[in-house]
Amino acid sequence: METETVTQKPLELILARNLMSALSTPAFLVDEGGILVFYNEAAGMLLGKSWEELGTVGPQEWGALFGPFDERGDPIPYDELPLVRAVRDDRPAHAKFEIHSADGTRHQIEASAFPIQTAHGSRGAIAVFWPAATNGAGA
Amino acid sequence: MKVKLWGTRGSVPSPGPETIRYGGNTSCVGVTLSDGSLLALDAGTGIRSLGLALPDEPTRLHILLTHLHLDHIQGLVFFAPCFRPQTEIVIWGPASPEASLRDRISRYISAPLSPIEVRELPCDVSFRSTPQSDWEIGPARIRAASVSHRGPTLGYRIDDGEDSLAYIPDHEPALGADLETMEEEWISGFELARDASLLIHDGQYADAEYPEHLGWGHSSLSHALSFARRTGAGRTVLFHHDPLHSDEQLDRIEADARELCRARGGNPDTVQLAVEGAELDVRTPSLV
Repeated sequence: METETVTQKPLELILARNLMSALSTPAFLVDEGGILVFYNEAAGMLLGKSWEELGTVGPQEWGALFGPFDERGDPIPYDELPLVRAVRDDRPAHAKFEIHSADGTRHQIEASAFPIQTAHGSRGAIAVFWPAATNGAGA
Repeated sequence: MKVKLWGTRGSVPSPGPETIRYGGNTSCVGVTLSDGSLLALDAGTGIRSLGLALPDEPTRLHILLTHLHLDHIQGLVFFAPCFRPQTEIVIWGPASPEASLRDRISRYISAPLSPIEVRELPCDVSFRSTPQSDWEIGPARIRAASVSHRGPTLGYRIDDGEDSLAYIPDHEPALGADLETMEEEWISGFELARDASLLIHDGQYADAEYPEHLGWGHSSLSHALSFARRTGAGRTVLFHHDPLHSDEQLDRIEADARELCRARGGNPDTVQLAVEGAELDVRTPSLV
């Protein structure tokens, strides 16, 4: 029987995923290339689709499914998402935006992302989502 | 490739009449490669006996440290080749942004914990952080990768011809993960152990003991066997015995391991507990 060989994830991402799996806060994980590699059950409830249902998706597919969108309803480029900025710039990033869940429900959220840095450089980033503050404090 | 288990105990040396068969020395495995050269995996108190067994002649030795907890380095200053000027010793270990490997080990080999400083060792000793990619020692290809434990910790894979040895003595891959269902790329240490001829793996706790030690960095019996089954290891030696486990308790754990292996559809003869002094052939690892 042929088996598909997949690349082992770095330990830091494995531990991050294990932690996120135990949280009730929506949380997302990207690898060092900025590719979404996991989100937890709470995030799945927000999106209306579990990680097991969705699987790894690229930036274009993600944008088509969920957005995000700015306050005028325009799509926000994937490169400008906090998760991707955190990986690219090796700095925490924060933003307020809107996403659409699988059933079309719109959610105003704020996302804070921070890079996962190791002795061998950046391994990816984690982002947690919160309902957007009503006073418009998002950056 | 052949291995000899010089120290099988975890955490702290535990000599005494209750541990005489499985041994009381802490982690050390000697690996003889196909060209006759020697590697030492970890430098717990077991490395003292390894050093005494080596001939007093010019030689080059590699010591591969998984991490710097005391039960993995305590034997270094009692390793006879360290006191032979004609010996070259290369010590490999995990990288850290905090300090060099030499400086971190020097915290132990220095006053007041040690009567001797690293710079005073008569041998020619050097310290190297393991590279991110594979490297070669003699005929063997070595791979190191971070694994789930407390603090920066490595596991090793050694490939020599058709033989492959995976050594992951301190490992809690089931922390926050279901090893039976998790995708393999998300299992800590998976690539190190994939289809290894011989897997030497953490098996510190009986299943009933694990809940009280969740997050301590070690495996239960069931978790160790799940990891072995998922990775396809040819044979598994459970290692890093808890210092509180007597020979009689370890006999029962080995019987439980064999039964669990059988119940899961495996061959119970492919799993055994590590016994200090045992020699194993990596290709057909029956105890000698």
